[in-house]
Amino acid sequence: MKEIVIISGKGGTGKTSITASLAKVAHEEVVAADCDVDAADMHLLLQPDFANSEDFYSGVIAQINQAKCIKCGKCKDVCRFDAISIVDKQYVVSQLDCEGCGYCAQICPRDAITTPQQNVGNFYISSTRLNMPLVHARLGIGAENSGKLVAKVKNEAKALAEKRKIPYLLVDGPPGIGCPVISSLSGADFVVFVTEPTISGLHDLERVYELTAQFKLLAGCIINKADLNKEKTAQIKKFIRKHNIYELDQINYDEKFSEAVTNGYTAAEINKEYERNFKHLWEKIKEIVLEDK
Amino acid sequence: MKIAFTAQGPSWNDPIDPRFGRAQYLLIYDEEKDKLTVIDNTAINQVAHGAGPETARKLFQVNPNILITGNGPGGNAARVLENAQISVFIGAGSLTVEQAYQKYKNNELEKL
Repeated sequence: MKEIVIISGKGGTGKTSITASLAKVAHEEVVAADCDVDAADMHLLLQPDFANSEDFYSGVIAQINQAKCIKCGKCKDVCRFDAISIVDKQYVVSQLDCEGCGYCAQICPRDAITTPQQNVGNFYISSTRLNMPLVHARLGIGAENSGKLVAKVKNEAKALAEKRKIPYLLVDGPPGIGCPVISSLSGADFVVFVTEPTISGLHDLERVYELTAQFKLLAGCIINKADLNKEKTAQIKKFIRKHNIYELDQINYDEKFSEAVTNGYTAAEINKEYERNFKHLWEKIKEIVLEDK
Repeated sequence: MKIAFTAQGPSWNDPIDPRFGRAQYLLIYDEEKDKLTVIDNTAINQVAHGAGPETARKLFQVNPNILITGNGPGGNAARVLENAQISVFIGAGSLTVEQAYQKYKNNELEKL
């Protein structure tokens, strides 16, 4: 099984739309995994059935056992997030401010503070309207994506692909270059960058490239909305060539694209031409992945 | 020489875990004593952030000379390993632990 991870660095480049379009043309060949859990939206295009659901626990928040608390105030003194306050003469932890560092629990003379794991959302294995399984997650309000959650989504998707003998895992990766992105890249066979011809598009492409270069990962690039700024597109191409990144595709701006997303279908379903182009792109990606030893 | 592997299981026949931070097992082979030690790292599945430095810390405690893995560690973990003077060899992601060891012996793995 080969793992293809699609990332962008910058948000709004069309990463998810393109991932969903590739999933559409690859249908029976892929398990799709939405690891962009902070703003998971692949489900809008693939319409999963949320058939299998599981609670997901990640991160900790301090909890004070009032029966044990002697109100010495040490926890409040050491909390650098000002998450502990006195309410009705009791020391309480603000759920929103606590970062779960555990300093208060460490310092408490009566061991009155524990740091239980938080139920931050749900994780799902679904069937979709486009005949491929989707592994995805939904976070509660204020909860954040983590390397842990990404690893969980990817591992479940891999297990499913192996069980059903599906040859490719298509991962919609998180934005940025932080912990969740590292977790999504770890174990990948091929990385696809989706960028756009803007200053921040190129800047963030350079940053994600640094990360993939560190992991010695094979990478390719899709320039979306390429005709909107030809000068920047040329700069991006120069960067791609300099670093031996595969030039996978260049997609011109088209209002039909956003129209498709607004109406809940993938860009590969706009018309025959789009479908053909995405099929061609998918074949190209497969060729590169299979060639790589 | 003490050689560490990131692995998906506890034995020579298990596949290498291509991930460093979230590797499920760390296997340490002591060539002089011809002894394989297994460190269960599955608790890492419960760690939300900073898996790389955490696994690097565990590795630091057993202090191997060599690490053999798949993609290689991320920035933070790489710094820990560098300071611990552990040489990292990558590209063993699709092999078993035993195959990876043979490839290392034949100088066929890439040094980071």
